[in-house]
Amino acid sequence: MKNRLKILRAERDWNQQDLANALGVSRQSVNAIETGKYDPSLPLAFRIADVFALSIEAIFLRDDR
Amino acid sequence: MRNSQPMPHYIKRYTWRVLIFMTAYMVILIGGKGYTHSADPSQLVRIALAIITALPICGVFWAIFQMLIEVDDEYQRLLFAKQILLGTAWALAIVTVWEFLAVYDVLASGPQWTGVIWFITFGMAGGYVRLRA
Repeated sequence: MKNRLKILRAERDWNQQDLANALGVSRQSVNAIETGKYDPSLPLAFRIADVFALSIEAIFLRDDR
Repeated sequence: MRNSQPMPHYIKRYTWRVLIFMTAYMVILIGGKGYTHSADPSQLVRIALAIITALPICGVFWAIFQMLIEVDDEYQRLLFAKQILLGTAWALAIVTVWEFLAVYDVLASGPQWTGVIWFITFGMAGGYVRLRA
């Protein structure tokens, strides 16, 4: 699953550790999600959406789009 | 935003538990071996000592699986689960080969210290899984 995490972080001048702290997860987790190695669970996807004040669909994109 | 991340609570608990169990293991093993050399106890006492010595090792197994339950970072939980499964697979492969080496009389005895083998493969699997993560 594709995502816009890197762009959204850059817009806010956050590094991966900043986002990890906001989400309460490890930096490795943020990196794995950002690089598409790991798709987050729905609860974590909602937390990510809350941190960026966006909808899940505005952050995560289906592979075929 | 804050840049550093403190050690996760589940790692702290795991580290303390393993330290306590390994300390207990060393004290019991050294004490038990010293006692059996000096006192020549009965078979029943020796069986009891063997079980008591094994308990802290079982405690380390418990600590590892308890960490898997307590980890609140889902990606880290996935990595730990992969580490446990891969470490177990490697350990089983080693003891299986070892067993058949004994069956075909290449070695005098079958697998021993399986727990120690598992700890080693568990540690190696941790490095492998995180290197590929």
